[in-house]
Amino acid sequence: MKELDLLKKDWKKNSDSFEQISENEIYKMIHKKSSSIVKWILIISILEFSFWTFSNLFINTDELLRKMNHPEIVLALDLLTYFNYIVGLIFVIIFYKNYKTISTTIATKNLMSAILRTRKTVQYYVWYNLGMIVIISILSYFIAFVYNPDMAFLREKLAADGKAMFFTVGILILIILGLLGIFWCIYRLLYGTLLRRLYANYKELKKIDF
Amino acid sequence: MSENLEQSFVAQLKANQNIIHKICRLYTAGEDAHKDLFQEITIQLWKAYPKFRGDSKFSTWTYRVALNTAITLYRKTKRTISTIEYESHQHFVKDVDYNYEEEEQIKLMYKAVYQLNDIEKALVFMYLEDKDYQEIAETLGISEVNARVKMNRIKGKLKKILNP
Repeated sequence: MKELDLLKKDWKKNSDSFEQISENEIYKMIHKKSSSIVKWILIISILEFSFWTFSNLFINTDELLRKMNHPEIVLALDLLTYFNYIVGLIFVIIFYKNYKTISTTIATKNLMSAILRTRKTVQYYVWYNLGMIVIISILSYFIAFVYNPDMAFLREKLAADGKAMFFTVGILILIILGLLGIFWCIYRLLYGTLLRRLYANYKELKKIDF
Repeated sequence: MSENLEQSFVAQLKANQNIIHKICRLYTAGEDAHKDLFQEITIQLWKAYPKFRGDSKFSTWTYRVALNTAITLYRKTKRTISTIEYESHQHFVKDVDYNYEEEEQIKLMYKAVYQLNDIEKALVFMYLEDKDYQEIAETLGISEVNARVKMNRIKGKLKKILNP
C-alpha cells in the first residue's frame, strides 16, 4: 500500500521530534499513583469486608438469642457467620490475585481474559452478597417469629386470623425487597462504574478477534 | 538498592522515551492527553520494572507494556478526534520539508489511522516501527498467520476510508 509506505517515511522522519522529558520529570512521574481500575476494586472490596466485620462486632444479638433458650440456633447462626467470613475472605483473595494477574507485561490477549475474569468475580461477589442479605433476612424473621417467646401472643393471633397472616407476610416480603433494592443501588454505585470501565476496556480488546 | 533500581529505570526510560511519545501520538489528541497517557505508561512501566529480567531489550519490553497500557488500562475521555484537534496535534511534530501533495496525503493517512480501533492502531504502530510479524504476534498474543491476516484487513480498511 503506497500510502502506508508514505506514512512510514513520515513517521520515521518525525520519530525523534518530540519534546524530551527530563530525568527529573520522570522521577516525579513514577511517584505518582496509577489510575488503574482493578486496584480500586481490590480496595473497595477490602473496605467492604472490614465494614461488615466491624459492624458485626457492634451489633450484638447474643443476648436476644440466649433469651430464646435454643442453643442449636445460636450454633447455626455462628456457623453461618463464620461461613460468611470465609467466603468474604476468599473473594478478597481472588480480587488480589486478579489484581496481580492484570499485568501489562503479558500478551494483550491474555490481558483480555484477565479483565473478563475480574469482571466476573465482581459480579459473583455482588450476587453472593445480595443473596446472603435475602437469606439472612428470611432466617431472622423466621427465628424471631417461631422461637422468640415475646412473639407468642402475636403468633396465636395470626394463626387464628388468615387475613392478618397474609398481611404480615406481605409486609415482611416488602421489607426484604426494599433492603435488597437499597443494597443493589449501593453495589451499583460502588462497583457499577468500575465494571463499566472494565467492560469498555474489554470491548476494545475484543476487537483483537475481529 | 531500590535507589539504584530507580536510577537505572529513569536513565533507560529517558533514553527510550520516544517509543512512548509515538504511542501517545497515535492514541491521544492534544497536549494534555498526550502527557496524561505518557504519565500512566511511565507508572505502569515502573510498576512492572522489578519483573523486568533483562532477557529482552528494555525497548522491546517498553513496547509491550506501553501498548497494553494504551489499549487497556488507560481510558480516554473522548473516543473520536475532531479535525481541529487533529490540526493542533500536528504542532507536536516538526514540519521538515515541503511537498504539498505528499504532505496532504500523509495528513489524510494520519486521519484514517485515527479512525481505527485501539487494536488496529497497535498493529499499524508496530508496522510503522518495522516490527516483524513474529514480534507483533507475540505482543498481542495471537498467531503469526493471524497477525498477517489482520494487517491485510487493516490495509483494506484504510483504503476504504481514503477512497469511500
